[in-house]
Order: sequence, then structure tokens, then C-alpha cells
Amino acid sequence: MSDVVISARGVQKSYGSNHVLQGLDCDVGRGITGLLGPNGAGKSTFMGLVLGLRPRQGGTLNVLGVDPDQSGPELRARLGYAPEHHDLPGDVQAADLVRHIAQLHGLPRRAATERASDALWQVGLGEERFRPIGTMSTGQRQRVKMAQAIAHDPDLLLLDEPTDGLDPVQRDDMLALIRRVGSEFGIDILLSSHLLEEVERVCDSVVILANGVVGHSSALDGLGSAASGVKVELDSDPQPLAAALAARGAEATIDGHIIIVTGHDAVSDLVRDLVADLGLGLRRLEPRRTTLEDVFIEASL
Amino acid sequence: MTEARIHDRGYLAYDGPRHGPGRAMVVLSYHTVQRVLGLKRSNWQKVMPAIALLVAFVPAIVFIGLAALLPASNDLDLGDPAGYYVPISFVLFLFTSFVTPEALCTDRRSGMLGLYLASPLNRDTYLASKFVAVIAVLGVMTIGPTLLMLIAFTLDGSGPDGAVDWLIEFGRVLASGLAMAAFWGSLALAISSLSPRRTLASVAIFVSLLVSAAVGDGLAEGAEVGDSFALLNMIALPIETVYRIYGEVNPDGPPIRNVETLPILLTFLGLIVVFGWFARWRYQRIEVTG
Repeated sequence: MSDVVISARGVQKSYGSNHVLQGLDCDVGRGITGLLGPNGAGKSTFMGLVLGLRPRQGGTLNVLGVDPDQSGPELRARLGYAPEHHDLPGDVQAADLVRHIAQLHGLPRRAATERASDALWQVGLGEERFRPIGTMSTGQRQRVKMAQAIAHDPDLLLLDEPTDGLDPVQRDDMLALIRRVGSEFGIDILLSSHLLEEVERVCDSVVILANGVVGHSSALDGLGSAASGVKVELDSDPQPLAAALAARGAEATIDGHIIIVTGHDAVSDLVRDLVADLGLGLRRLEPRRTTLEDVFIEASL
Repeated sequence: MTEARIHDRGYLAYDGPRHGPGRAMVVLSYHTVQRVLGLKRSNWQKVMPAIALLVAFVPAIVFIGLAALLPASNDLDLGDPAGYYVPISFVLFLFTSFVTPEALCTDRRSGMLGLYLASPLNRDTYLASKFVAVIAVLGVMTIGPTLLMLIAFTLDGSGPDGAVDWLIEFGRVLASGLAMAAFWGSLALAISSLSPRRTLASVAIFVSLLVSAAVGDGLAEGAEVGDSFALLNMIALPIETVYRIYGEVNPDGPPIRNVETLPILLTFLGLIVVFGWFARWRYQRIEVTG
């Protein structure tokens, strides 16, 4: 299989005069990819295009080697999808729902029944599989959604806000499950979320949408290693140090007792010397790492 | 010795056979038939379908019983198959209003539509599957009793003469039942496509049928603006269409009995097309992600 699961070039999608995607370019590789973006950035629209639910108005889109507009049904047989909403038919047993969806994805009834049971065990609902979904908690429903999405052994899993409505413990469990599905089960995942911490915890790479285009796209393991200045924490007013740095041409931003100094590695020597010269109490001096939040804010501007 | 069972086999890749979108349509239709009939649901959900089926079949079963007990009786009046639709139309009317919205509305309300459209189905095959399911259920009520009637006629010795006539009569039974089911089914789907709320759809179907009957007959007979306006009566239209399929006119029917056969058939088929087109138009616009 190719290393690129989804490839988009110049993808455009509008609803009337609302241009949601305006020439989106990105490559989604194997593993778990986070799809981030503020509300209205086009995450759900992009998911809809990947699923082939809507025709795009321009550009090219390739998912698992095929165009969703041309081969929607064949493509969707290889996709798993867990929607954002928590609504599922309350009077249906979890096992029946998962089997039904597996059958729709082409599995014969017997295989669908077996795999539905297996999938529910995998998501931790083995003992609960014959319970009506209406009697289940939000966390259990999220797991049912996950089970129905993986039961037919998809090549690519699309998860839309999979931790929405979960408490912290349930969220941890769900993130661990997603990580397991992506690594142990070998299923590539595109995870749409607005929670940066979640994406940082489970994803291998990230695509950030902003204003209908890709604001940033990269692997996550490279983010933390890129130093871009230093972070200085003092035990007193940071204003004198900031002024001294500015006088020497360094760019410094004050955030409470912390000063962010941007620049190359040598800037830490400058800070050290100035702190000593000014007789300030230094609590912390460390390289400033680029966080996903930094990237997100920059991409969203 | 204790019995050992392995519950967690780990996640296994599936490399067995996979069916195509056609099979997905069959799966969805079958599932919808089960939902509409209340199977695998609470007993309360089974009540209305069970009553409807009972009321639709009981007269035919009585006819068959009489024919079996009195096979040579010339005094046995079995009525005519076309006339059978008049009494069961009331059942069809209630069933279409209060049961068939389950086929569409619940999927939207429960979020299942998003899961269906994320499968090999698309909006058209989804709707087609639903249409087939509704026709199948309604068809049991519209074809089943008249087929039993035909058997009763045959057992009684008062049925069609010869194999050819019998096949013609059999064709009429099928055509009438399918036409009736297609009309009521397409109407139900069109109105159900307007709302995810089943109750709202039920009331809308019920009221629209009553209003169509009042307006159609009111204009044709009350205001005397022309018999053609009787075609607006969506309760009488399918019944009269069945009569015309049998080459008859409903003798006790509303003003639509005065309309020529061709306008009746064209209106009947046209409405099925319009209802189907409207449901499709609605479903092309429904967003299921986000």
C-alpha cells in the first residue's frame, strides 16, 4: 500500500456563496493523523468529501488510490466512519447494530456476526453487547460507534470528535483505544478534533485547516525538537530584562513572570549574562520548543 | 473439568468474501421490513402492524374457509377482487400514516442515515432500498388477500376459466397490489422526507390524505367545477385505479368514477413519480457529517 492514504490538490467546496474549502492541498500518510481546525474551518466538509458524500467543485482528491466522486460505494466499503453525534437507535442491541453495519460493508451474515462480537470485545463491550444502545452511557455509545467502524476491517478509519461528551477517564480510555486501533490493528486513522492535547497524545501527524486551506501539515514528532529561542522565568518583575534584551536587539515577549525570547541558540547566553548583570533571580531558563498550540495559533491566524 | 472459552481472540484482519452495493441494498431493505413490522422491537411496536395485517387478511381467510367448506355452493358470493380494496384501504390508510414513517424518519433522528451513507450505499440506493422495503410490507397487505381471494374463487369453481384467464387474473392481482403499494409507499416516503420526527410525518400523511379527499370531492361534486378535480382525492385515486386495472368502475365510488381511465392512470403514475422525485430531492440536500 502507498504511504499516502489521502492526497488532496486544490480541493474546492462551496455551499452557495460560502466557500468552505478554497484550494486545499494536503497528503495524509499512514498511521494516525489529526485533522485540526477551528469551528467552520472545513473539517466535516473535508470528511464528507473523503467519504464521497458530496461532489467537490474543483481540484483532485485521491483516497486509498481512488477518487471518491468516481468510486464512492467501492471506496466506502473500505472505510470505517464514526460520526460525531451520540444518537444511535436506542432499541437496537449493540451486537445487532454492529453486525448490520458490517453486513452493509459487504460481509456475509455469519462473518458479520462473528466480527461484530469480536469488535465489541475489542472496544471493551464484550459483556454488554446484547444490551440495547438506549441503556448505554455516552462513553459506551462512543465505543459502539468505534466497534461498528472497525468490524468490517477497514483500511482507513474516519473518526469525528471521538471523545466528545466523555469524562476524563473515559477520554483516556478512548484515546488509548484509538492508539491501539492505529498501531496494533494496523488501521490508518484520520481523527477530526478540536482538542490539541488529544491530537498530540495519539497522532503521528497533523493537518491543520484554517479558512478553507491547510494552514499547517507535518509529523508531530518533529515539532518538539525545533527550538526557536528561550523561555525565561524570573522571581521578580521581568520588565528590566525585557528592556535590556530589546536594547540589544533581541525580540522578547512578556507573559506574567515569563519572558519568551525568540532567536537562535546563542540568545540563551545573552539572557544569562543580562540576568547576572541586572542581579535578577532566575527560576528557569530553557529552550523554547514549538508546541502544537503554537503551530495551531499561527496556522489559524 | 472446567470448560475453557477464549473471549478475546485479538483483532483479526478479514480476508473473506465481500459483497457489493447490491447486497447492501438487500440488507437494508430486509432490516427496514423488520423495523416497520416491529420485529426485534418492543411488543407495543408490533401492535399496529399486526392489527393491520390481521384486518387485511381476515376477510380473505374467511372466504377461503367458506370455499373449502362449501366448495360447490353456487350461492357463495365472494365479491370481486377490485372491491376488496375498498374496505382494506382504510387499513392501508392507517398503516401508511402511522407505521411507514418508521422506514425513513428514525434513520435521520437516530443518526443512522450518516452510517448508511458512509457504507457502500449512496443516497439513491438508500432511498431505493427503503422504497422496496415499504412496498414489500404494503404488498403483503395489498397482494396477499387478493391472491387468497383468487385461490378461493378457484377452489369454489367460480374462478377464471382456463389457464390463460387464470394467469390474466393473477397478473391483475399482482399489478393491482403493486400499484396500490407503490402509490401509498411513495406518498409515505415523500412526506416522511420532510421531517426526522415520525409523529410529525404520521400526522402530515394522515392530514394530507384527508385534505386531498375533501378538496378533490368538494371541487368535483360540491362546487361542480369538473369531475377531473376528483383526481386530487388521493384516497380514491388508487382504489379507482385498481378498478380500472380490472376493467371496471367503482360502482359506489366517489366522483372520480366519472373520470376516463387514461387521466386516472396518468395521474396515478405521475403522482408516484412526483413523490419519488420529491423524496430524492429532499435527500440530496441532507447533510450527514458534522
